[in-house]
Amino acid sequence: MAKKLSKKTLLKSFHNWYYGHLTCFSQEHMQTFGYLCAMLPLIEELYDDEDKKAEAVNTYTAFFNTEPQLGSVVVGITAGLEEARANGEDGVDEETINGLRAGLMGPVAGIGDSLVVGTVIPILLGIALGMSTGGSPIGAIFYIIAWNLFAYFGMKFLYFKGYQLGGKAVEFLVGPQGEAIRESVSVLGGIVIGAVAATWVSVTTSFKLYNDAGEAYLVLQDKLNEVLPGSLTAAFVMLCWYLMAKKKMSPVKVMLLLVVIAFVGVVIGFFNPGLAY
Amino acid sequence: MTISWIQAALLALFACLSSMPGMGGSSVGNYTLGRPLVGGLVCGIILGDIPTGIIVGCAMQLIYIALVTPGGTVSADVRAVSYIGIPLAMVALKSYGLEADSAQGTALATSFGAMVGTLGTVLFYGTATINLLWQHIGWKAVEKREYKKLYLVDMGLPWISHLICSFIPTLIMCKLGANVVELIKTALPMDGLAMKTLFTVGALLPCVGIAILLKQIVKKAADFVPFFFGFVLAGTMGVNLVGATIVAGMFAIIFYKIKMLSVAKPAAAGTYDDDEEDI
Repeated sequence: MAKKLSKKTLLKSFHNWYYGHLTCFSQEHMQTFGYLCAMLPLIEELYDDEDKKAEAVNTYTAFFNTEPQLGSVVVGITAGLEEARANGEDGVDEETINGLRAGLMGPVAGIGDSLVVGTVIPILLGIALGMSTGGSPIGAIFYIIAWNLFAYFGMKFLYFKGYQLGGKAVEFLVGPQGEAIRESVSVLGGIVIGAVAATWVSVTTSFKLYNDAGEAYLVLQDKLNEVLPGSLTAAFVMLCWYLMAKKKMSPVKVMLLLVVIAFVGVVIGFFNPGLAY
Repeated sequence: MTISWIQAALLALFACLSSMPGMGGSSVGNYTLGRPLVGGLVCGIILGDIPTGIIVGCAMQLIYIALVTPGGTVSADVRAVSYIGIPLAMVALKSYGLEADSAQGTALATSFGAMVGTLGTVLFYGTATINLLWQHIGWKAVEKREYKKLYLVDMGLPWISHLICSFIPTLIMCKLGANVVELIKTALPMDGLAMKTLFTVGALLPCVGIAILLKQIVKKAADFVPFFFGFVLAGTMGVNLVGATIVAGMFAIIFYKIKMLSVAKPAAAGTYDDDEEDI
């Protein structure tokens, strides 16, 4: 008799992931406990034998961390695989499941970060900020509703899609088609991130050179704008990228460096935010 | 403007829910309640001044619009920004006698946000470290086959971490708010070097967030082209964010089709699903 997970148990598993994937976060185990809690209801239903249960739980004690919203699909896939393992299907064991989880973490995090955190959230926030100009709560309310509907139903869809497709979803995610999607998503993400940077980030210089009559004959910001509007912003973004991607500096160190740059810049008059009482 | 114990406790409760890793879960906690825009609304309701809350929240949201936490590296702590930074900035605005939506008001809010957000990363590492204790209990439970205990470990015990690293710091900072603001006001005058630096840092910080996102995408110099394309669309050509996304979607589809042509097999049915989710 083939075992089949009930809809109720799958939903419970999904909700455990939806809520609990990061609640017990530590630098060492990250989302591992969230994953365990998502798999528990499934394991309890699939196995009666305590030893088999222990074996199954043990599978999910391996380290896991990815972009959690999109990562929902990975949990769905393993739900399908665990069901297959409980039915004694060939070639589904601890090694295949964990190999697959480890293989999916990176690609899913890559797509998730550029799609969810880099694209969807800044766009929703961008629209909401426009609506809230002047102190109206409508933008904040719009963001709360739009984002939560997107996150909940999107994650639920991905979880059940992963469960249905099982191994096929893996081929889809890491195969040539998955690669094509990843690359097109990074084109999309790149363009949107560029637009976000140009719209919301503004690094400007107050550097000016004066002639004897006290007139500014060089206003650096104007010259830079003639090259490309926002070129200083772009230059700082590229500097940060260079330090993190090529020099392997941590974000915190880059920020400390920016504090130093800001301080020196203010002292020599390169930066002046124009504050006054 | 003063903050009562009850108001401070409510703010502290939201701090527990909203941080990364928060007790509200990351969709509701981190990505909803933790966003400064939403934090502005919540603080506005609790402190009884919604417009000021929202304006301060908007100003702080701008710094953290592209806040991403890849592999658990946190460059700013949202609970500190939204539930310590916003209330303090609101108190500061009243104390300085500034209009929230004036240029100076925004500058003040932004520099407060940058300061508190960066200092707040201590709270993040604190919470994550205390969670190690509960995880230790978790591993014991797995060994002893007491699986029900795992729920307690994942969803119950971290409340204690938050009591220590979210609730108490927020409660104290907000309650002492007026005094803290006075202290900052005398120690760091607005036109002094420290405040100018702080505000400049506030303008530079978003570059880090953007660069973290780019790090995932850009592997070689040519990968910068889409970024600059988007930059020019919005910065020079005046296309807004939604417009730029539509243009970006078009390019992504073209790119995908070309890519699939070069892969021997033609695209299978159902692939457009993934593109739809972007909008």
